[in-house]
Amino acid sequence: MTYFFQLVVSGIVVGSIYALAAIGFVLIYKSSRVLNLAHGQLIAAGAYITYTLTVYCHIPIYVSFVLSMILTFFLAMSVERIFLRRLIGEPIISVIMVTIGLMSIIDGVIYLTPFGSENLSFPSFMPSQPVVFQGIYISYTQLAGVLITFLLIGVFSWFFRKSTVGISMRAVSDDQMASMSIGISVPRVFGLAWATAGLTAAAAGGILGNIVGLNFDTLHAFGIIVFPVVILGGLDSLPGAVVAGIIMGLIQQFASGYLDGNWGLSGTASLLPYIVLLVILLFKPHGLFGTHEIERV
Amino acid sequence: MMSANRWMATGNYFTTYRQEQRIFATHVDRLIFALFLVVLFSWPYFIELSTKYMLVIDNILIAVIAVYGLNLITGFAGQISVGHAAFMGVGAYTVASVAGVIGDRHVLITHAWPLMILLSGFMGAAMGLIVGLPALRLRHLYLLMATLSFQLIFQWVIGSMEFFNQGQFMYVGRVHWFSGQVSRSQHYMFWYYALLVTVVVCGLGFRNILRTRYGRSLVAVRDNDRAADAMGMHPGFTKVFAFGLAGFFAGIAGALQAYLNRGAGFETFTLHESIQYLAMTIVGGLGQLTGCIFGPAAIRLLDLQVESLARWAGEILPSSLDLATGLRPLSFGLVIVLFLIFEPRGIANWWRIMRSYVKLWPFRY
Amino acid sequence: MKTKKISIWMIVAAVALMLAAPGSSTAGEVYKTALSLAITGPTSDAGNPYSKGAEDYFRYVNDMKLLGDDTIECTIRDDKYETAITKRNFEEFLDMGIVFYLNYSTGSTLALKRDFDEVKMPTLPASFHAGNIEGSDYIFLPIASYSAQNIGLAEYVVDHHEGGTPKVAMYVHPSAFGREPVKDIEKAIEAGLDIELVETVEHGQDLDVTAMIQRWRSKGVAYVISQTVQSPVATMLKGAKNMDLVAKHFGEKGKMTFLGAHYTGGNDLIALAGDAAENFFWTTSYIVTSEPGAGAEAQLALAQRYGRDEKTANSHNYANGIMVAQVTTEVIRRAKAKGKPVNKENLYQELLEMNGMNAFYPVTTVGPVTYSKDDHQGVDTLQLYVVDDGEFRAEGKPFISEYAEKIK
Repeated sequence: MTYFFQLVVSGIVVGSIYALAAIGFVLIYKSSRVLNLAHGQLIAAGAYITYTLTVYCHIPIYVSFVLSMILTFFLAMSVERIFLRRLIGEPIISVIMVTIGLMSIIDGVIYLTPFGSENLSFPSFMPSQPVVFQGIYISYTQLAGVLITFLLIGVFSWFFRKSTVGISMRAVSDDQMASMSIGISVPRVFGLAWATAGLTAAAAGGILGNIVGLNFDTLHAFGIIVFPVVILGGLDSLPGAVVAGIIMGLIQQFASGYLDGNWGLSGTASLLPYIVLLVILLFKPHGLFGTHEIERV
Repeated sequence: MMSANRWMATGNYFTTYRQEQRIFATHVDRLIFALFLVVLFSWPYFIELSTKYMLVIDNILIAVIAVYGLNLITGFAGQISVGHAAFMGVGAYTVASVAGVIGDRHVLITHAWPLMILLSGFMGAAMGLIVGLPALRLRHLYLLMATLSFQLIFQWVIGSMEFFNQGQFMYVGRVHWFSGQVSRSQHYMFWYYALLVTVVVCGLGFRNILRTRYGRSLVAVRDNDRAADAMGMHPGFTKVFAFGLAGFFAGIAGALQAYLNRGAGFETFTLHESIQYLAMTIVGGLGQLTGCIFGPAAIRLLDLQVESLARWAGEILPSSLDLATGLRPLSFGLVIVLFLIFEPRGIANWWRIMRSYVKLWPFRY
Repeated sequence: MKTKKISIWMIVAAVALMLAAPGSSTAGEVYKTALSLAITGPTSDAGNPYSKGAEDYFRYVNDMKLLGDDTIECTIRDDKYETAITKRNFEEFLDMGIVFYLNYSTGSTLALKRDFDEVKMPTLPASFHAGNIEGSDYIFLPIASYSAQNIGLAEYVVDHHEGGTPKVAMYVHPSAFGREPVKDIEKAIEAGLDIELVETVEHGQDLDVTAMIQRWRSKGVAYVISQTVQSPVATMLKGAKNMDLVAKHFGEKGKMTFLGAHYTGGNDLIALAGDAAENFFWTTSYIVTSEPGAGAEAQLALAQRYGRDEKTANSHNYANGIMVAQVTTEVIRRAKAKGKPVNKENLYQELLEMNGMNAFYPVTTVGPVTYSKDDHQGVDTLQLYVVDDGEFRAEGKPFISEYAEKIK
């Protein structure tokens, strides 16, 4: 039974990082209907910025974590301003393909820094002894990750419910025409959506970097697992992203906990998300919480 | 009667639909095409090219065939596919696994290779139809996800099944031609001709499909699926059809790749490659047949250029600065983005402008 | 007027160049070799220092005139870990007329195996995959194969475990690179190697390994042998450290001892895992710079000579790159010494004769490089290292895996 609960706890830990990464993805989709394929690159950028600030600029890690979120906020905003603003009104398919181009560009920029082909890890700043509760282990880093995730999710839900900017973002995602007519600047909202996505990506990157270390291939691959998560949750639902992230974390943990090592199975955790993705696409394409507005053809 | 003169036509003078659907609008086009073919088939007799560039050209031609398929989905049917390399992999692994089962020097592999290539095409088509199935219910964003998961599941299956040698290289023997076994020194030249014939045949086939009702319904569904529906086309089936057809081209390209590389390894069919093909399609020109040829050539040559630029930069810059590392993805990404922003119709559009300039010469337009 | 002046100068320069060119060629022969590897893209963390090692050593050979007036020209090309580019590079190298070839990845080595044999090109890859040399006459692994390394680790476990049959789990890369050694360990167990292989786990992009480690613990696993790259090992070590299950010394009761083969270790692992890497056992045939010795000094001196940063200088992959360059230089030197023309046939012969009294001792490895008709694994000797206070320290004497021979 302890084993089961350990899997649950680990699943939640992993899942909340997925959730954090997925939120950024959903934010962009929700406001501008763009699938941002370069999200993994934003996450990696956030992780490296945090590392640079901590190690090279000797800023305490808490501060640099926040600073990197702010920096990535502006980074993502300028990405939107430079590349995507020009494409407002173009077919969505070209915008998506621009994000594919962005993927390569950010890759290139990261490879220009020493980080691209190096392995690094954050200096440890948390007690290395884990929290043990009834035989269930969780490290302080992971705990901090989960807490930050939920804190950010809380802040976002407040932001979208109460603040004017948040409400205008929701308005744009509901109906662009109508929100323009009441004086909301749609391009500005798009910019903000990208910026907030960048902010969450930096947070995800920072946490991820602390948990698994900084290896570009690993961070890179993390960007792809976000897709099954957002499809499961529904592309345009923030709560969906959170729930789906945690479900995906649990699925993976249970898969590696109960399937691997039995019946000759192995590495199922890395395959299952995509099988889930296919099944969801076939039977419930709008995901668990997505709006049903998807046009059937 | 300008329109009757099919030699000197300077613009569109179609008076019937049948005229519009001709493969070649004017006789001059036809003549130029024929001359171009003669050049393509005969240049190796006059110019000696190093093996490296022969291989580059062969790879471009393979990419052309693959991009026919991808352009059909993306340019004509309006769906994004990020699993095209996996479809090619299906073709390549059809040849490779048959070779694995019956032995890679079996007559079927070495003598009946055109048949094997065709078979791979059909395997690719079958896989395309299956992956395209969600198209019956979904629109483009979601199909991107379906192709993504197909790509990743393909990689997993190849990488973990003993039958596919766990993604390690599976060999395919050297083929035979009327003159006997194609030797190492003739290998790339032989496949140049085989690929050239395939490119031309597939290109004509592509052009012809677009003339049929199926081809036209693709464009109709892309432009407005509701209107297409109202006119009696089934948007879902049309898209599934596009996926099947794309799978066919990809399968053929993959099989040719396996023959050219003398086997199949899983590294050639990764997500990264799929994105490369997508870039070729964009840069060449979405929805343009000529784009299928310009795109692969442009991307492959750009890659070669950047490679030598990076090497040159690496020599003069301090070795601690790894400029070479970043330059390739950076330039690759920039090319995609700049094309999408400034020339969304791709290189094919330059070609179109050039052609109309020549046609109208000496008048400007 | 001005243009005329320039063109005159250009003619002068051209004439000067023409005069200079034959002058420089009389200085000695140029032997062409080549290396194609992933300086960028996946695994570039290993490929980057590897390329620098090879580049620096060849430069050193030429600068110090180790081959007299003759020089080695090694063309190094990046292939981004893409087999298609490796193939293109190799065809280009063939056109250049290389006499010796250095390759990199498992995938491309397997894909080009038949090409190497057809053109009879002696080849040293950076991948120690046992499958590389199967059915190939011209591929030579620089050091013992991954299988031999893993079996060697298992043997070490058997020899140093106290009480009963040790329970071992394997943590491997989800590809043939990871799986092949598992098969060979199973064969070794059949042949009498006294370990119990409890479980083999293929990792994915795991962010949390707590469950896996708990499962191992419940099954009584005491040793974990990993055969993959550094990043997943680091994640595993961090997970185990969280649960306080990393043994403080080899075979500590109730804890787990982690071991790994060549590509799991090195300074990259310490960089990724931080203090979770403490007490990680790693085997390779290369020397490390944290362990003083002639090899370490030579490696550091070479790096310093060519202005490499500290990270590169201390990388075991830098040593790896130097070593393949050393072997290349050595076979060329031997062929020359015998007065034979330096071509691929003769270099191949020299490789085959590199055994017994002719074994080659590069300072960068812990044992001699030996090749023969049936032995295509260079350095058979392995050295166990253990992380102590953030540095790899040699543990015991160099050894040779017994069962790797037995299961052949």
